[in-house]
Amino acid sequence: MTARPDPLIHPITRLSICGLLATGADWIEFAALRDAAGVSDSVLSKQSRVLEDAGYVEVRKGAVGRRPRTWFRLTPQGRQAVEGHLAWLAEMEEAVSASTRDVQQARSLAGDRDQPRRVPPSLLGNS
Amino acid sequence: MPDAARDPAALELLRVQRSRLADRLRPPWWYLPGIAIVWALTFAAPFSSRFSPQGVRIWPILLAVLAVACLLQWGLARATGVAVAVGSLRYPSGRTAEIAIVVLAAATIWTEFFLIDRGLTGVAIAVAALAVLAEAALQQAHMRGIRKDLRAGGGAT
Repeated sequence: MTARPDPLIHPITRLSICGLLATGADWIEFAALRDAAGVSDSVLSKQSRVLEDAGYVEVRKGAVGRRPRTWFRLTPQGRQAVEGHLAWLAEMEEAVSASTRDVQQARSLAGDRDQPRRVPPSLLGNS
Repeated sequence: MPDAARDPAALELLRVQRSRLADRLRPPWWYLPGIAIVWALTFAAPFSSRFSPQGVRIWPILLAVLAVACLLQWGLARATGVAVAVGSLRYPSGRTAEIAIVVLAAATIWTEFFLIDRGLTGVAIAVAALAVLAEAALQQAHMRGIRKDLRAGGGAT
């Protein structure tokens, strides 16, 4: 899998939708996806339409009694794009945490330099 | 719209959302009794094949098992809003439990035939009852594994 950013998945709402659909569930129902992503009905409808038009998401519509039910899942193309994008984000996260570590290490070294040096007693002699 | 790449918490947010989704996959109250019925029917098959009249076949029982299992799967997906492949080895954390379910079922059926052939019907019934309880416990462990993988995103195919 190649770590590669995907401009279509880049916005946070679409990243949430795709990331949730890539968890390993076969299908996720509209309400479950909406609640997990923490978005409104209209936002989910709009963003899922964009993803569907791009061929990243497959939509299945049905009804239980009079209640319409919509189910989503990733297409193979969508899964590939999401995995590449998540890998790219993970690389970025790793890079950010590595640079944070370096800065902290540099600060602690600078802090050590500012401290008065202690001479070991063995070097002081007996005088 | 906020930019995910500039938001260092994007992946952290996704982890929280996945955790929320995994929490939805808690089986309703009827799921475990349903699983127990499936296994009780399965483990009744050896008795049926030995004790029922010649004309009665094992197939109706197996068909009933299949029908109840499919109904449970459908009901679970409908109740939770998350359709997962419960009977598959796709989820690494639930794989051990799934293999144990199959091995225990095979071992129980073999033991039942063995005991029935030696006239130990009472012992065979006790074995079947214990196996039903064990299968239900293993199913719960399997569901826990699936939830764990959903949280980590490790169940992706």
